[in-house]
Amino acid sequence: MSFLDSAAAGFALVAHWESVFYLAMGVLVGVIAGAVPGVSATMAVALALPFTFALEPIYGILLLLGVYKGGIFGGSIPAILIKTPGTPASSATTLDGYPMAERGEAGRALGMALYASCIADLISNLSLILLAGWLASFALSFGPPEFFTLILFSLTIIAGVSGESLVKGLIAAASGLLLATVGLDLVYGTDRFSFGDPNLMGGLNFIAVLIGLFALPEIIDFVFRPKEEHHQARQLGGRWATLADVRRCLRSIIRGSFIGVFLGAIPGIGGAPAAFLSYAEAQRNSPNRDNFGKGEIEGVAAAEAGNNGVCGATLIPLLSLGIPGDVITAIIIGAFMIHGLQPGPMLFVTHAHMVYALFMGLILSSFLLFAIGSVAIRAFRFVADVPKSLLAPSVLVLCVFGTYAVNNTIFDVAVMFAMGWLGYLMRVLKIPAAPFLIGFILGPLLENSFRQAMLMSGGSPEIFVRGPITWTFWALTALALYLIVARLRQSWRAET
Amino acid sequence: MSKITLGLALTSAIALSSPALAAYPEQPIQLIIAYGAGGATDLSGRALATALGPKVPQPILPVNRTGAGGATGTASVAAAEPDGYTMVVARVGSHTVNPAMKDTLPYTLDDFDFVAVYEINPVACAVAADSDIDSMETLAARVNENPGTVSYSSSGVGSLLHIAGAMALRSFGVENPVEAAIHLPMAGGGEAATAVLAGTADFICTNSSALSSFVANGQLRPLMVTTAEPVAGFDAPTSADLGKPELESLVGWSGIAGPAGLPDEVIETWRGWLEEAVQDPGFQETMDRFGSIVDLKSPEDSVAFINEQYRIFRELVDELDMRVE
Repeated sequence: MSFLDSAAAGFALVAHWESVFYLAMGVLVGVIAGAVPGVSATMAVALALPFTFALEPIYGILLLLGVYKGGIFGGSIPAILIKTPGTPASSATTLDGYPMAERGEAGRALGMALYASCIADLISNLSLILLAGWLASFALSFGPPEFFTLILFSLTIIAGVSGESLVKGLIAAASGLLLATVGLDLVYGTDRFSFGDPNLMGGLNFIAVLIGLFALPEIIDFVFRPKEEHHQARQLGGRWATLADVRRCLRSIIRGSFIGVFLGAIPGIGGAPAAFLSYAEAQRNSPNRDNFGKGEIEGVAAAEAGNNGVCGATLIPLLSLGIPGDVITAIIIGAFMIHGLQPGPMLFVTHAHMVYALFMGLILSSFLLFAIGSVAIRAFRFVADVPKSLLAPSVLVLCVFGTYAVNNTIFDVAVMFAMGWLGYLMRVLKIPAAPFLIGFILGPLLENSFRQAMLMSGGSPEIFVRGPITWTFWALTALALYLIVARLRQSWRAET
Repeated sequence: MSKITLGLALTSAIALSSPALAAYPEQPIQLIIAYGAGGATDLSGRALATALGPKVPQPILPVNRTGAGGATGTASVAAAEPDGYTMVVARVGSHTVNPAMKDTLPYTLDDFDFVAVYEINPVACAVAADSDIDSMETLAARVNENPGTVSYSSSGVGSLLHIAGAMALRSFGVENPVEAAIHLPMAGGGEAATAVLAGTADFICTNSSALSSFVANGQLRPLMVTTAEPVAGFDAPTSADLGKPELESLVGWSGIAGPAGLPDEVIETWRGWLEEAVQDPGFQETMDRFGSIVDLKSPEDSVAFINEQYRIFRELVDELDMRVE
């Protein structure tokens, strides 16, 4: 079958009202699930999976992809409105999104999140269609040593999100790295800091840590210091994100989208690191550098572009190699197999029409995301109008339910509260939470890839300079460190 | 209060205090899945729960409780009340490999009553399609000639893949595979297969279902399957063909278990349900697509099968000193 035949057959497959319907359903379900704290995009996809069994393969897969994309965007809504990332990938969005909401610019932040998400989604889908083959071979050349150098470079983000004091940022990051070591050690299988408790053997649940760290300190602070204005409603703000806003942030959005595409194509990284990396790069290059973390709209744009840029790109290893890039795509691979499709290079030969149908569906999904997202933002606006004295307890209830739902254990809820107090303590001491989270996310990746590489080489460190990819990341790390030091010296000089 | 209402209250109090199992199940049943959504155990457990739906008077709720390579969820079932309302999808990793390898595990096989094994997953060993290793013999020879250069990937310490690589090498004449070959633990089954695809690891031994799409796509080349019968889609000799029938104990499986002390009635009721569920065409079709063989063993056979596999793994672990403390 020629390309045109396949494309025509694919179009025939996707050009039904059902495919639009299921895709739209998926996006809607995803946005709502993503907007509920604790219900991550992963859970939403897993819950939607059984419903696809009875559907035609193309509808089922489009439904799941819709849930995935919707979920990643939906997570930004509570991240901005109530400082609770709905899904881990949107934690970077809270950094500037929430201060904007506090200032009464929630509408503008949400609008920018939507624009950035949809542009990134479109870029990501186009990259999937145009660059899949090339990016897939790039992804396959990422062994543990390359992975290690990439993660090492990513750790330099910490300087960008540390706020006023780099030392406090480093303390936070080190604590995050430390807490991430709880649980089974991957390489030897020994228990670390588990004190014989089977719950601790699995490590601290990511969602519990995330919610505890971001949402709870806000609530605890409110309990201790109920301010007058908290009884009044904040305003969504009459201002919407304008075209001028988008134009100003466009560079960051496009940069973030491509960071998302690259990290998404490499299996095993996921949306959260991409969002933080995109955020840090935007900050490094912005004239408003010092305003980041205080409600800079470009920060919201960069974070959302980074995490949505991952979505289409995770399908690159899935479709072209048959390997899952993250947990969500692992579930989607399951859906392919249930429908008798085996993702991988042969899919393009045996089911080429199906692949083209998927591509068309994906492009459509970017526009559906925009339409449904706009409606969702308007529907969730009432959250911004609720006085904090009502909002805080409701958020607390949602957090408890969401955390419990991840693993159905009360232990995770306890972890969430413990992390909440830790987060409050950090807030009082003015230690930033974002570096902590980055340490917690990247720590296991850093450690595992380091030890896997050492196993591969029999203990020789030469493996970390084995090819151009590793050299590139070493160089980038050195450059980032140089810039951090240069800026520190500059600020010292300014003080004296 | 009239005498009638008092009488009614008394009878209902008696009815409540009499063994609740009189009409098991009276409430929804939690089916714990100790592995993550989308994995082999999850799909198998959920397919079973779906097939059981119309046959069981109460809902069966699959619950993913993940962590520590299946230990967290499994331990929570071991500690639950043996009333039949908390059951677990028992799996080769959580119920034979892990107990055989880890002394620090918070449960043992004795903490469970097994209803049945209902599914068998053949194990296959494979290399990258462009690898110059063309048979298990070549592989073993390569390991013996250059100790410490050949690696295999797994989904972690105490996983089926971990023990399978060592067991396969050993039966093909590698005296001490733990020393001679490199075990490369990855963060999951998908990553383990990717490692072989990317050339990070040299070979992998895992459930054929995890490899089938890579084999069909010509990305990985199978060297051996460990069942007595050939596996569809795998152009490779069986372990019996290669003169190693002892490797047939190296198979994946799923079953249903509950905390030790389950009433007989619960076990029998579940037996009946399973017998119906395995006849369900939808269930069979799903299992088929994942390359699993639906094989409902009798309770005695199930327990014997699990104990035998545990014994073999335990011996291997002792001989090779693979114990994790």
